[in-house]
Amino acid sequence: MITEQKIALDPATFAESAVHVDGPVVLEDREGGLDPWTAAVWLAARDENVRITLPAAPAAVSEEMADKALDTLNTLAGSRVTTPGAASRFDDLPASLIKLEPGDPGYRGRSSTYMRGGRPALILRPRTPAEVADALAFARRHPELQLGLRSGGHGISGRSTNTGGLIIDVGAMNSIEMLGTGLVRVEPGATWKQVGAFLDKYDLALGSGDYGGVGVGGLATAGGIGFLSRSQGLTIDRLRAVELVLADGSQVRASDTENQDLFWAVRGAGANFGVATAFEFEAEEVTEVGWAQLALVTDDLAESLRQYGEVARAAPRDTTVFWLTGQPRQGQSVIQMYGLVDSGDPDTIIERLTPFATTGMLAQQQVVVARYTDVMAQAADVGAEGHHGRGEPISRSGFLPELTEEFARDVVQLLRSGQTFFFQLRHMGGAIADTPSDATAFAHRTPEFSVTAIGMDRQGLDAAWDLFLAKHFDGLYLSFETDQRPERLHDAFPPETLGRLRELKRRYDPAALFRDNFPIPLETS
Amino acid sequence: MTDYGHDLLFGTFVTPNARAVDLAVAADRAGLDLVTFQDHPYQPAFVDTWTLMSWVAARTSRIRISGNVLNLPLRPPAVLARAAASLDILSGGRIELGLGAGAFPDGVAAMGGPRRTPGEGIEALTEAIGIIRDLWHTDTRERVDHKGEYYQVSGAKRGPAPAHDIGIWIGAYKPKMLALTGRLGDGWLPSLSYLPDGAASLTGMNARIDEAAAESGRSPSSVRRLLNMGPQDAGVEQLAELALTYGISGFIVASDDAATAEHLAAEVAPAVRDLVKRERG
Repeated sequence: MITEQKIALDPATFAESAVHVDGPVVLEDREGGLDPWTAAVWLAARDENVRITLPAAPAAVSEEMADKALDTLNTLAGSRVTTPGAASRFDDLPASLIKLEPGDPGYRGRSSTYMRGGRPALILRPRTPAEVADALAFARRHPELQLGLRSGGHGISGRSTNTGGLIIDVGAMNSIEMLGTGLVRVEPGATWKQVGAFLDKYDLALGSGDYGGVGVGGLATAGGIGFLSRSQGLTIDRLRAVELVLADGSQVRASDTENQDLFWAVRGAGANFGVATAFEFEAEEVTEVGWAQLALVTDDLAESLRQYGEVARAAPRDTTVFWLTGQPRQGQSVIQMYGLVDSGDPDTIIERLTPFATTGMLAQQQVVVARYTDVMAQAADVGAEGHHGRGEPISRSGFLPELTEEFARDVVQLLRSGQTFFFQLRHMGGAIADTPSDATAFAHRTPEFSVTAIGMDRQGLDAAWDLFLAKHFDGLYLSFETDQRPERLHDAFPPETLGRLRELKRRYDPAALFRDNFPIPLETS
Repeated sequence: MTDYGHDLLFGTFVTPNARAVDLAVAADRAGLDLVTFQDHPYQPAFVDTWTLMSWVAARTSRIRISGNVLNLPLRPPAVLARAAASLDILSGGRIELGLGAGAFPDGVAAMGGPRRTPGEGIEALTEAIGIIRDLWHTDTRERVDHKGEYYQVSGAKRGPAPAHDIGIWIGAYKPKMLALTGRLGDGWLPSLSYLPDGAASLTGMNARIDEAAAESGRSPSSVRRLLNMGPQDAGVEQLAELALTYGISGFIVASDDAATAEHLAAEVAPAVRDLVKRERG
């Protein structure tokens, strides 16, 4: 039997009595005695085997500072020091589930996301579909808690963190497995960087977005507009089957042959219907690609943008170049273009890219023959320290049917308003339009571009966007939209799509458990 | 010429991440006097400075340890006083208290600390120093009461008392902070790179501290002058001049490699000490 040894935090005797401890130690606080936290850290550093129980969480100005101290000690000592702060405020937690609450080691790294700060009351980390069902049962018992779903923690529209609510974090479900020729099974917590590396061994690739750090679950239930979309279709177009846990806890599989209505809904509005626990994608052969990063300078941004539109429109499906600019400075704009030519042949790559490179004054260029996995691998690995976003991202999205001269002029107006520091066009078209509009809940199949602006001021960006750009758009990409005005739902889903989604929402999630990312109201408003 | 006559201290300024422990141990082995750490808890790549200092104290045997400087809005004075005294006891009197009014208000707010204007920061620091000294002072059993604008302490028991007289070293640049340092500080701890005219700024700033010290009936030499600098500024001649012309007696070199610490301890420090000793006569 292991007995705990109680040690008083007496300034005169502590150091002596802590020299030869055998077994776990409980530190006893007393007025005028040593600071328990300082003494615990000192003792843990003196004795590499000692396990310490503290009388309380570290004294600190805030929970954030107490968490920081706990995380630091965890880094230095491992999990040898425990505090009673780790006791849960919930008495009905599913026993099976790993949970993180404020004060738990590792909580801080999962309380914020890539772009958003948060402080959820509870993070549940299921490892299996059955544990997801347990987590959802807990969520149903606690309708007072806002519920967020988290895979990679990159969500902009989705609230993959919140303050005071519940997060179901599927980040631990991240396995990737080859099922057969080109068919790969991926769990939602894997990142696209990991998927890219896995498929590369088979000379395969699966288009995702433009950043490898993004998690599979969020993107594969919304769309996925990336460097291979023009040749492969959206990421959801490569989906052959999906496994879900629904709001009532039931585990279902959806594909072209089973639960077809759910399969339709998950591809574009997945966050409304369940927690995806596995995806089966059909990847395509992709070996070497041309990866390009070009920086252009222009003093006529509207003309450069118009020319980019023309060049992009004429580009074959193997070529996808995205366009990014920020605030003009002294009348000059810097345009960053980055993209991919799905060919390993240098002559083809140069031929495809040259027209893009002449839409402004070429200032810098880097073009390499690479593997698709190398492109995804540029994303930094997120270590145990996790994400540390703060505040709320302010972002607008629109689908542009045609890049006109008028649009290009209005973009200049938007940029001059000073309300956006990040303005991006993602080239669509090609294979994206091969899928009919009613085949998936992602209905906007024919735009030329997906347009995104990120700003600092909610009202300022909304006002400038609504004034200058809104008239050019038909629809939006919900993953990049953070405006919460009710009209946005109608931009995300055209009437017929929305009508069908509403009907399915009533059937599969009648209590509206999933309501944190473009929630579909049960009734027409 | 200004020289307050203190013995000279040589130390390092180490980035507070997981590697810092090894660097602190190396500085200790090399024989340096001080190892210090900045305190920006809102910086995700940094660990918690106080926790790191406590760990380093346990893993070292001779070197003195200080925050450089601790961020007061994120370190309430009553907690800090108890923690610093405790670590001073556990380390055998090797803790100094580098303290600042707190920069980066957004970062402080993100960590749940109070957002203060520079003026409020100075007032809060004045209150905090009073509370810390009261709590350390155990010659009387009288409870500590402090009803301030920023901090309230009601009937707190004093103690523990530190093992040695912990120096409160203040990071200060602007006239009001310099005056506070002269009134209340045991040390002044600025960074060379933040001085508007480099070392030449020290003359005027020292004078401001001396003046405020004198007005409070203190000797200017009761405030030790320390200085953070990069390795490029830490040559023997440069340090000797800082000591003899500008009264600097603590040289803290930013360094994240053990070789710089070893060079400072083995080559630079003895040479500077010799030079200064000769000049002082």
